[in-house]
Amino acid sequence: MKDQLTLNEDEVDCLQELMNISYGSATAAIAEIIDKFATLSIPNIKTVTVDEFKEYLKSKLDYGKSHYVTNQLINGTISGETMFIIDKDSTFNLGREYDLEEDELIEEELKDVVLETSNIITSTTISKFAELINASVTFSPPSIKILHSIEEFYEYFANEYSHIIIISTEIKFKDQNIHGELLILSKDDSILFMKNALNKLLDEF
Amino acid sequence: MLNNDIIFNTIDNGIIILDENLNILAWNYWLEIRTNIKQNDILNKNICKEFDYINEKKLKRKVKSVLVTKNPSYYNVDPHHYLVNIKINSIIDKIYDSMQQDITIVPYDIEKKYVCLYIYDKTPLCKTNFKLEQLNVQLKDLSNRDPMTHAFNRRYFAEFSNKMLSLSRRNNQCVCMCIIDIDKFKNINDTYGHSVGDKVIILLAQKLEEYVRTSDIVARFGGEEFVIFLHNICLDSAKNIAEKIRKNIEELELDTSEGKLGFTVSIGVSEYDDKKDSNNIENTLKRADDSLYIAKNSGRNQVSRFEKS
Repeated sequence: MKDQLTLNEDEVDCLQELMNISYGSATAAIAEIIDKFATLSIPNIKTVTVDEFKEYLKSKLDYGKSHYVTNQLINGTISGETMFIIDKDSTFNLGREYDLEEDELIEEELKDVVLETSNIITSTTISKFAELINASVTFSPPSIKILHSIEEFYEYFANEYSHIIIISTEIKFKDQNIHGELLILSKDDSILFMKNALNKLLDEF
Repeated sequence: MLNNDIIFNTIDNGIIILDENLNILAWNYWLEIRTNIKQNDILNKNICKEFDYINEKKLKRKVKSVLVTKNPSYYNVDPHHYLVNIKINSIIDKIYDSMQQDITIVPYDIEKKYVCLYIYDKTPLCKTNFKLEQLNVQLKDLSNRDPMTHAFNRRYFAEFSNKMLSLSRRNNQCVCMCIIDIDKFKNINDTYGHSVGDKVIILLAQKLEEYVRTSDIVARFGGEEFVIFLHNICLDSAKNIAEKIRKNIEELELDTSEGKLGFTVSIGVSEYDDKKDSNNIENTLKRADDSLYIAKNSGRNQVSRFEKS
């Protein structure tokens, strides 16, 4: 089962290409909605176990810096969830990109801009990706938490996966120091579906 | 052809249809009942003018997001609480004055730039979450604190000190420990009784909390022994703080049925040393304990520090 749930080099390349196309829709949407230019880095793709995933997150959610973390479920033939992780300093700068006044940079408003950014990126990226591999998806409303340590994350962590595909990308805005990372986590059944879809595409080209 | 109006007016959600300028094109029965505003009285009116507490810039952005991405956008209950303020009339349960709402905005007619807003009543769930959060805070407090003095317990101290040590090491900051022990505590218990002994311990815990900064923590390690974790302070300053604590305690008096009772403490101080302690705060504590032993053997009511070699 383990080999069936990991991606080989060709599959990773193909997935990376598809995600690149999908991210294009996300940056175009951000530009149109808030009239700001954002870039998303080339996606980094890896298949990890739950323990490796926890280690990966530990390196992101280190002590001393609080992070806004959103979580949104994806339902359909490719099911799983997305996480958007952004540190507090970047969140303030993101709020400024949304034209919030200094007195509006409060927790409630900041949560909203993080939720909205995460929702725009997730819905456009995943919808485009689903279209490219002939899958259908719907989204659940995103939720948000402010985490101060990895232990707080573990309190909410539900171990539903044996393997997790991490597709991570960094979002950067022009002239602003904003680093956010989007993680797309995929369930085992969906990994198999994606592998089949990727191999069909690889056979065609 | 099925009649969607029946669903529109019988569903247990609020439904609003808006155009891109936020004019109301539909307002269902659920909203009529709860807001006391009839659909006919609100049609073609701007929602932000009718309800001036709605942030127009934000709602326009969300509507635009729906029309651009052709996917849902959300007004989450967490940051917003509600979109349309609907008062709750319960007199027995008053956590919230207004209905807590989650809003999902979906495309209705992309060409005409119409969107549909679904309003979900999340008040019961929010109430449950609120009560659970309160209980969770109480539970955490119970598991982290000593019931008699309300100082942190040893388990919490271990958890906190490891976190703070990692942070301090990364920021190249000093960390110091003080171990405080009441002098001749057995004599207090034997002379005045255990209830007075307990009062002395409680008074000491209260005073220690007053003497340290909020970033430091005081924990009861058992019996009449307390430990203070001093963050971002080097050995000389820690010794000065300990000396100040010792003097203040010396001046305290507790009223008892047999008159005023004074007591003293001995304090051992040590500083975390990367070479000696290799990321283990227990080694730092051991040196503070050795210093306490020296203070006790040198006549008590003293501060002794473990010198760096």
